[in-house]
Amino acid sequence: MAEIATLWRPRGAWDLYAQIGRHGRRDGPAGLIVAPREGLALASITAADGAGDGLAEAIRARFGLSLPEPGAALFSGETGLVWSGPDQWLALAPARGDLDGLGAALQNLAAVADQSDGRAVLRLSGPDARRVLEKGVSVDLHPRAFAAGRTAVTAVAHIGVQLWQRDDRPTYELAVARSFAGSLWSWLEEAAAEFGCEVRASA
Amino acid sequence: MRIRCPYCGERDNGEFSYLGDAAPVRPDGMDASSEAMHDYVYLRDNRAGEIRELWYHAAGCRSWLVVTRDTRTHAITDVQPAREVAKTRRAETRLAETRTVTPAGSASHA
Amino acid sequence: MLDRTPTFPLPVREAEQAGPPQPFRTASGGLIDRRRARDFTFDGRQLTGYHGDTLASALLANGVRLVGRSFKYHRPRGLLSAGSEEPNALVELRTGARREPNTRATMAELYEGLEATSQNRWPSLAVDALSVNALLSPVFAAGFYYKTFMWPAALWEKLYEPMIRRAAGLGRAANAPDPDTYEHAHVHCDVLVIGGGPAGLSAALAAGRSGARVVLVDEDFRLGGRLLAERREIDGLSGSDWAAQAVAELESLPEVRLLPRTTLFGVYDHGAYGAVERVSDHLAVPAAHAPRQRLWRIVAKRAVLAAGAIERPHIFGGNDRPGVMLAGAVRTYLNRYGVLPGAHPAVFTSSDDGWRTVADIAAAGGRVAAVVDSRPDVPVALRRMAEAAGAQVVAGGQVIGTRGHLALSGIEVRDAYGSTLRIPCDTLAMANGWNPVVHLDSHLSRRPVWEEAIHAFVPGQLPTGMVAAGAASGRLTLADALESGARLGAEAAESCGFAAETAGTPRTDPESTAHTPLWRVAKPRGKAFVDFQNDVAASDVELAHREGFRAVELLKRYTTLGMATDQGKTSNLAGLSIMAELTGQNIPSVGTTVFRPPFTPVAIGAFAGHHRGKEFRASRHVPSHAWCLENNAQFLETGLWLRPAYFPRAGETDWLQTVVREVETVRSRVGLCDVSTFGKIDIQGRDALTFIERVCANPFGTLKVGRSRYALLLREDGFVLDDGTVSRLAETHFVMTASTANAAKVMQHLEFCRQWLWPELDVQMVSVSEQWAQYAVAGPRARDVLRKIVDPQHDLSNEAFPFLGAAEITVGGGIPARLFRISFSGELAYEIAVPAGYGDAAWRAILQAGLPYGICPYGAEALSVMRIEKGHAAGAEINGQTTARDLALGGMLAKKKDYIGRVMKERPALTDPERPILVGFRPVDPSQRLRAGAHFLALGAEPSLTADEGYMTSVAFSPSLRHWIGLGLIRRGNERHGERVRAYDPVRGGDVEVEICNAAFVDPAGERMHG
Repeated sequence: MAEIATLWRPRGAWDLYAQIGRHGRRDGPAGLIVAPREGLALASITAADGAGDGLAEAIRARFGLSLPEPGAALFSGETGLVWSGPDQWLALAPARGDLDGLGAALQNLAAVADQSDGRAVLRLSGPDARRVLEKGVSVDLHPRAFAAGRTAVTAVAHIGVQLWQRDDRPTYELAVARSFAGSLWSWLEEAAAEFGCEVRASA
Repeated sequence: MRIRCPYCGERDNGEFSYLGDAAPVRPDGMDASSEAMHDYVYLRDNRAGEIRELWYHAAGCRSWLVVTRDTRTHAITDVQPAREVAKTRRAETRLAETRTVTPAGSASHA
Repeated sequence: MLDRTPTFPLPVREAEQAGPPQPFRTASGGLIDRRRARDFTFDGRQLTGYHGDTLASALLANGVRLVGRSFKYHRPRGLLSAGSEEPNALVELRTGARREPNTRATMAELYEGLEATSQNRWPSLAVDALSVNALLSPVFAAGFYYKTFMWPAALWEKLYEPMIRRAAGLGRAANAPDPDTYEHAHVHCDVLVIGGGPAGLSAALAAGRSGARVVLVDEDFRLGGRLLAERREIDGLSGSDWAAQAVAELESLPEVRLLPRTTLFGVYDHGAYGAVERVSDHLAVPAAHAPRQRLWRIVAKRAVLAAGAIERPHIFGGNDRPGVMLAGAVRTYLNRYGVLPGAHPAVFTSSDDGWRTVADIAAAGGRVAAVVDSRPDVPVALRRMAEAAGAQVVAGGQVIGTRGHLALSGIEVRDAYGSTLRIPCDTLAMANGWNPVVHLDSHLSRRPVWEEAIHAFVPGQLPTGMVAAGAASGRLTLADALESGARLGAEAAESCGFAAETAGTPRTDPESTAHTPLWRVAKPRGKAFVDFQNDVAASDVELAHREGFRAVELLKRYTTLGMATDQGKTSNLAGLSIMAELTGQNIPSVGTTVFRPPFTPVAIGAFAGHHRGKEFRASRHVPSHAWCLENNAQFLETGLWLRPAYFPRAGETDWLQTVVREVETVRSRVGLCDVSTFGKIDIQGRDALTFIERVCANPFGTLKVGRSRYALLLREDGFVLDDGTVSRLAETHFVMTASTANAAKVMQHLEFCRQWLWPELDVQMVSVSEQWAQYAVAGPRARDVLRKIVDPQHDLSNEAFPFLGAAEITVGGGIPARLFRISFSGELAYEIAVPAGYGDAAWRAILQAGLPYGICPYGAEALSVMRIEKGHAAGAEINGQTTARDLALGGMLAKKKDYIGRVMKERPALTDPERPILVGFRPVDPSQRLRAGAHFLALGAEPSLTADEGYMTSVAFSPSLRHWIGLGLIRRGNERHGERVRAYDPVRGGDVEVEICNAAFVDPAGERMHG
C-alpha cells in the first residue's frame, strides 16, 4: 500500500494542454489572460419534484445564497451557485472536498452528483476576453445582454460549455467537460492569438 | 433559425435537435394495442401551417420543448417546456376521465 | 476634383508619382493614393497601379482590357462592371498554395506584388486555341449538353466529360493545403445595415446616434457606395467627402461596428445573417496571427437593406466585346480610381443618368466619340453638353453591333431613320437603368415584385424585421437614398426601444432618373449576350422559347441563364424581358427564379473556420491519455473519442501481434483497459426504479442495492437502441452506463422519456460520464491487483463481492471510488471508477500494482476481440436494424411490465422465425480468414438476393482458438449449429466455407467471470 499511495496525486484537467506563459501576439499587453482553475469542488444539484422551499432553505443554510433563477449565477467569494438547467444548478467551492456532505444535507430535496473532476474550468480576463469569446460563443455577451451574475449553457466550437461572468471588467469562467479540454484549448489558443494570450498558473 | 428557449433565451437552431410533431400521445400501459402504438410511432399529419413540435435543447439546458411553428414561414409563435406541457396534458386527461365517469356513476345511483 | 486640362490621354507622370506611367490614368483626382505605387503582374506582365486601386482599375489604367475568355465560346472578354456583379473578369489570384481561382478582378484590392493570371484560355489570353468554339456556336447553343453527349453512354466518362471540363474551366484551385487560417465570430445588434452607400450610411448614422447597437457591413474596402463613384454634392460637400465624414462619425460611436470588406451572403430566419469578412485578402500574406477571412454570424433585431442597385447592360450584337462596359462602371473607374477606360469612349443610353457619363468624361478633360440615346427626345441642354465634349449625338438610335477583335474598335449604330452608322470608339458605356439588389431579401423564398415606375423588380414582402432603403428599395435618387436611409434607420432603432432623432435631410444637387428601358436591340449584328458568364445569348432564349422551355425555371435550367457564379446579377431581367416579349406577356407574368445564399461565392475554408485538419471535429481524451502518449499507444476514433486501440511493444511488428499478446495476457494473467468512454448517467429520485423499468426492456424490480445488471434499451419501434448496465448504489440511486458511441443519444432519449412521456415521475438525472475515470481490470489475477489498490477495509472476496457486485469504496487511502464486478471480456473482471482527476494516478498505480502479476494495458482492439470471443453484441450488431430477438437476447425481455418498444417489437416481420439471428461462425479450414460484411449462402447456392441468408457482422482472429472467428446474423441460426454455409464476399474476393456455432467461443458456461 504505502509505496502505491505516494502515487495518488490528482492531475489537472488542463495539464496536458495549457502551457504557462505568453502565446500568440508577442508585443503589447496580452489581450486575454487565462488561468486554469484546478482543484475546485463542483457538484450538480437537481431538485426533487416539489422540493421548492425546502431546498431553497437548505441551500441558504449551507451557502448563504438563494437558488439562482434561470440564467443567473450567485457567488459569495469563491463559493457559488450557477444555474445550469431547469431545477438544476452547479455548486462551486474553492477546494476539492469543500462540498463533501452536500448530498446528505440535501437528502430528499435534491440529487447531488460530484462533478469536481468532470468539468474543466478556466478563468478568462483581460481587455479582449469578450472579443475572444465572441469567436466561439453564439450567445450575446454585450454588457447590455450579459453581465456579472449571468450564465449560459451553450457551445463553443461545437463543444458544450457553461459560461458565467464573475465581474464587469469583465472576467468570465468557462466550464467544459473534462475530456474536451484539449480541443477547447486548441480553439482558445487560435482565437486569442491575434490579441496575445497570457496563461497564468492560477487566478 | 432562432428558437427562444423558455429557460436560456433565444438561441441558434444549431443548439437544438428536432424530433417532430408533438401531437401523438404514447399509449402507455400493458393494454396498449399494437394499432394504437403503430399510429403513435408512425402516423403524422404533415400539416402545412401551424404545428406544435418537439425540439431538444441539446447544446443548452437539455430541455425538451414544444415549439409552435408555421411550417410555411418558419414563424415561431410559442415555445413551452415539454415537461410542463406534458404535466398539463396529463392533468387535463385525468380531469376529462373524471368527468366522463361522474355522470355514469350518478346514473347508476339513480 | 478632377483635373480639367484638355490633354488626352493623360500619360503625364507627375514628380511625386512613383512607378512607371499608366497611360489611362488621369492626371489627378480619384480616391487612390498616387504616392503609393503598387507593382503587380498580370499573366506575367509587370504593371503598376496605386494603393486604393482594385486589380480591375489598375489593369484599365495600364490599358489592359482583355482579361478573360468566356466560359463556353472562349470569346475575348473585358471588364463589364466595377463591382461584385462582374461576370467576365474572373482571374486566378496569387500562386502556389495560395492560388485562388475565379476571383473577380473588380473586387480584388491591389497590393504590392499581387500576381494575377487569366483563366480558361490556352495557350495564352490573346491566342486561345479553344476560341474555335465560337465558330461552332450554333452547336453550343442552349440545351447543347442535353442533346449532344447522349450517345454512346460509355464515352461520357472517358471523353466528353474530361473534354468539357478542360474547355469550360473556371480556373484551377491550389494543389497544396491552404496555409492560411479562417475563423468564425458572432455579433448581435439592434440594427444591421446592409450596404455602406448613401442610404446605408444615413441609416447607420440615424440608428447609431440613438445609442442602438449597429453593425454596418459592406463588401467594398471603402465605405460610400456610389458616392465614391459619382460626382455628387451633399450639403456642399462632394459625395466622397460626405461619406468620409459619415464614416468618421460612425467610428466615433461606441456601439457602432463597421465591417468593410464584408459581404453579407445570406439571410436566414428570425434575424440571423451570414457574412464573410476578407480580413487579409488585400495583403499578400495575412499578418501574423490574423486569419485570411472571418465568417460572421450576425443576429439582428432589425435590418436595413441598403445594398443598392446593379446597372443593366443593353442586349445588342457583340455586346461582350472588351471595351463595352456599364456606364456606371465607367464613372466608377473615372471618378473613384482616376482611370478613363478609353481614349475614344462612346455612350449608349436609355436613361438620363447615362448622360452623367458624358459629363464626367468631359469634366475630366476627355472627349466623347458619340452618344446614342435610344429615346428619340434628347433635351437640348444635354445635347449641347455632349457636343461640347466632341460627341456625335444620335437620338432615337440603337447600337446594333460592335467591331474589333480582342478589343472594341467601333460600333454600328442604327439611327432613328434606319440607316447604319459606323462610329469608331474604344469604349462603350451602356446605361439601361438599374435593378435594385433583390437577392438578399429573396433568400427566405420571398419573391420580388414588379415596379412599373422604374421598370424593375423591387423587394416584395421583406423578411420579418427587415426594411429596404435607397436604391435597394427602388428609390434610385440620391436624395431618396439619404432620406429613406435616415428615416428607416431611425425607425429601426426606435422599434428596438431607442429614441432616435431625425435630422433634416441633406441637400443634394438636382438629378433625373428618367428612363425608358430598351429590353433588347432589334435585329442585332452578331451574338447578343444576356448572361456573359455562362455565355447565354438572346438567341438561346429564343431557342428555349421555340422548344417550349418557357416557364422561368425551365428557361433557367435549359439555357443555364443565371446559373453561373454571379447568379445572373446582370442578366436575369434581360432574360425574363426577352421571354416576356416572345410569349406576349409582361415581365412580372414570366416570373422570377429564386435567389439563394450565398450572394457571392464564399470560400469553403471560411465555413470550416477553425475546424480543419485534426480540428475537423472536437476530440475527447480519456483520463489515461497522458500515459498513452508517453507509451506509444495507437489510437482509434469512436464517436469523438480518441481511444487507445493497442499498445505496441518494442519488437512487435504489426498490430495483430500486439493485440494477440494483449488478449493472451488478459486471458492468462491480467490486463488494464480504459473504459471511461462509456456514458454514465446518474439517476436518482423517488421514482428512479419505475423510470428504469420503463426504459429498459429487461426486468429490474429485483435488483438489490449493491448489484449491477445488464440493461437493454429498445427504441419505441421495437429495435434495440443500446445496451449497458444499471447499478443500484442506494435505494433510490442508480447509475446507468451507455455505449461510447450512443451515450449522447441515450441521454437525449432518457430526457425525452422523463420530461415528455412521464413528467409525473420524480426522477433526477445527470451525466457523470466525465466525473469518473473507469478502468476494466480483467483476468485471473484481477482481484490480486485490485487488492493492492483498494483500501483494506473493503472485502473483495468472491463471497463478499460476487459477480455483478457494485459498491462505493475508497482507494489509495481514502479517495472515493466505485467498484463494479462486470466483465466484457468473460474473465474475472472489475471495473473501477475513480474521480477523473485521479484517473492518471490510478492508471499508473494499477499498472505498478500489477507488475508482479504480469499486467499489461490493453486497448479497444483487444477488448473487441474478447467480446467477439464471448459472443457479445456491440456496435456492429446493435446497428439500429436488429431486435433483441435478433441478438439472441429475446429470453431476457420482461413479460410483466410495460417498457419502451414492448408493443412494436412484436410486429410479425420482427418475430418471423426466418429473420436472421446472431450466432457464431468458424472457418471450416482454420487457416482461412473471415471478413465482416460477407453474406451467407447455402453451400452450392448461386449468389442472389433470394439466396442471401444473412451476413457477418464482426470478425476477429481469436488468440484463444488460434483461428479466425466471426459473429453474424443468419436465418434460423439458433437451430443450425454445426451446419456449413458459404461466407461470400465478392467485393474483396472472399468465399469461405464456415460452420455455424455457438457465439460464445470462449468459456461458454461463463465460469471464469464468476470465479
